[in-house]
Amino acid sequence: MSRRLQEGRAQHQRYKEDVEKRGKSFYPYAMFHDTVMSLVVVAVIVALACIWYLTAEVNEDGSSGSGALGVLYEDKADPGTTSFIPRPDWYFYFLFYLLRIFKWPDSVILGTVGIPTIALILLLALPFIDLRRERRLVRRPVAVVAVILTALSMGVLTYKGAVAEEGSEATGLVPEWIERFSIPPGDASEGAEIFSVSGCLNCHQYAGEGVPNLGAPELTEEGNKNRGVQWQIDHLECPSCVTPGSPMPPYEDLGQDNLRKLAAFLEASKGEAAGGEAAG
Amino acid sequence: MAITPPPARRRKRRMDKVMPLVMMPVNWLEERSGLVGGLKYFLFRKVPSDINWFHTLGSATLTAFIVQAVTGVILAMYYKPHPDTAYESIRYITNEATLGWLVRGMHRWGASVFIILIFLHMARVFLFGAYKYPRELNWIVGVMLLPLAMLEGFTGYLLPWDQTAYWATVVGINLNGTGPVVGPFLAQFLRGGDEIGTDTLTRFYAMHMLLLPGAIMGLIGLHLYLVIRLGVSSPPWSKDAAGSEREERPSGDPGLVRPRARGRVAK
Amino acid sequence: MVSPPAVIVGAIITVIFGFLWARDVMSPGRASAAGGPEPAGTADAEPIPAHMGAPATPPGHPSEGPASYPRSKFLELGTLGLGAVIGGIITAPILGFAVLPAFTEDELGGVDLGPLTKYPTGKWIEATFLLNPAAGEVSRRTAFIRSNGMEGGQPSMTIISNRCVHLGCPVQAAGPRNDDQQETIKTEQAELTVTPVLPANFSCPCHGGSYDTEGNRIAGPPVRALDRYKYSIVDGHLILLQPYSVSEVEGEGAKAAIKAYGIQGPGEHVDGLSGLLYPIQPQDLG
Repeated sequence: MSRRLQEGRAQHQRYKEDVEKRGKSFYPYAMFHDTVMSLVVVAVIVALACIWYLTAEVNEDGSSGSGALGVLYEDKADPGTTSFIPRPDWYFYFLFYLLRIFKWPDSVILGTVGIPTIALILLLALPFIDLRRERRLVRRPVAVVAVILTALSMGVLTYKGAVAEEGSEATGLVPEWIERFSIPPGDASEGAEIFSVSGCLNCHQYAGEGVPNLGAPELTEEGNKNRGVQWQIDHLECPSCVTPGSPMPPYEDLGQDNLRKLAAFLEASKGEAAGGEAAG
Repeated sequence: MAITPPPARRRKRRMDKVMPLVMMPVNWLEERSGLVGGLKYFLFRKVPSDINWFHTLGSATLTAFIVQAVTGVILAMYYKPHPDTAYESIRYITNEATLGWLVRGMHRWGASVFIILIFLHMARVFLFGAYKYPRELNWIVGVMLLPLAMLEGFTGYLLPWDQTAYWATVVGINLNGTGPVVGPFLAQFLRGGDEIGTDTLTRFYAMHMLLLPGAIMGLIGLHLYLVIRLGVSSPPWSKDAAGSEREERPSGDPGLVRPRARGRVAK
Repeated sequence: MVSPPAVIVGAIITVIFGFLWARDVMSPGRASAAGGPEPAGTADAEPIPAHMGAPATPPGHPSEGPASYPRSKFLELGTLGLGAVIGGIITAPILGFAVLPAFTEDELGGVDLGPLTKYPTGKWIEATFLLNPAAGEVSRRTAFIRSNGMEGGQPSMTIISNRCVHLGCPVQAAGPRNDDQQETIKTEQAELTVTPVLPANFSCPCHGGSYDTEGNRIAGPPVRALDRYKYSIVDGHLILLQPYSVSEVEGEGAKAAIKAYGIQGPGEHVDGLSGLLYPIQPQDLG
């Protein structure tokens, strides 16, 4: 029999004797704490339910408005949807964002089954990995660091998953951009609309929206580069012809009319400072 | 003049009359099942005297689960698991059934609370080192409860049959589908066919209502049995032997007081 | 009606228990237990294995003579054997009822997507239709359809599924939509909605996948090109047939060289080393 096991048995025997001699009975001492805590749990659940329901309004057509804790229900499931943006429940946000991190095709399986499986196996094997008898935290630096790192990464992933924006969600932001960056009406403003629906924000960022991808530049101050409308049109038509090696796909399918508007919008995007001056 | 007995004695006499009546069914039950003795053992077993609020996370998790079970049963009385009716029944429960919104809200948010408490409880056990000998098996049972609880969340998420429900399920099933070799078969089994449809919804409903809660209840039972059998671990900073397990002691000292015991003297 | 298998199982059980009962009645052990003196053979009874805890056989129980097959052994084997039979009887329907139906193939009869005239050459149309009208709304799907003009005397179409090959989210056309030109086409089976769109590419709102207009991956996690549908032209109508998976497309439109594979789930590689992770597909067994 290993020394460690012997030690463990002796200690558990001592523990039992100690508890028997000087412990207190579960009821009512410990159970009182348990009951108070359970009451808190039930109260929190009821409170969440009330806040959720009472702050959300039901519209006349039966659809649900969004309250402090979100909607009561979304629209009915539509498997053929072309506009809905799926999001999981909050406790799967970390997984959701993990899937976004593994953005290379050959790494998909890491995010989907690899990491969750490894995490589960590590958890199951924990008692057999950490065989020391030591339980005090100051003497278990690895465990403390591990739990802090896990909590941090779960927290960050959950947060990132919660705030993850999508290009096609930006449609509603167009008026704000026009206002904030003083985009002139006409072609440039119509270009903003096209910009928001054409998937530009899948790689580029604009005013903090969008997902940076493939090293695509931030476009909020694109106009300050003074490249001219014609350059923008040429670039949109065939990015790799103008900038050799650019991974950006060609946008000529949008048609000359739309490209002209897009180019006008990009040239008018001079950031907040410049826009502010122009407005003043 | 009649002598009225003093109030204390009168109360005692009344108690003497009432107690046998109360005790009769209790004794009847005890004689035939031993359940009362079991309950007494459970309630009056000794726990370390320095356990604290962190130790209540486990029973708080159990409370959240009970809330889920009770509200779930009520919801099942109104819910209609079919793609044509599920969404409407959820709207009915939320908007029209008396207090339906409360029951559904408790079930919906209770799920989140349940998951959070599981994580907190797990963190507590980890930080207290309470998974070490002889409690390894209980840790493993607890870890098995975690994915089961998350599967409960996942299967329950589809039931309202709204847009988030549907698409989260699409992604979730396809996640399983990427597993090597068996993935596609698992996904096919979960969907109940090539595409998500009626069979998927009823399948998820059956799993959510029967299979997973059954498994969870069984494992919770085992979890509690092990807690009672092995005893509640004291905090790692405990001055009792339960906590100061690595301290060397002079022989003969059963290890009640640590040599360096500061401040609080053992009671 | 009683099904023959049930009758057979019932008969087997009846025979086994009948035999056990008859054996029990006729055994000398029973007779002695009924009032005779304690049999002397008790000491020869099987020792109780230590691991079984509580004594499974009471100490004074009647046993066979030392020469015969020990009764406890027989009961042990009988219990295990009958338990296995019960397990088998219960497992068979579970497997057959819960698992197998999931693997029976759905026949896709072909969906009428309306007259070809609704699909002008070189323009993208977003069509939303019922894949299986009998199943109802659950089978609503969307595809991006582009007519490539005539190729070899036959109309050539590109029909791309909007199911993201990363994890199945609904892929959207990145570009302006002409919602005011949306049209509902009534066909024999059902009706479908067609909307002209002007996609510069296709993008997925979940995890940031994006595809070019032939369905090839440009960026993000998709593991292959977008799935496509087979089609045929019947009486000037576009008929949608089975979907299939594509690893990549070279060239464009009618001249495109499509590397086609059998339909696979999202997230599964069809080629390369990672493709080896999915050696068999459920539909291969059908």
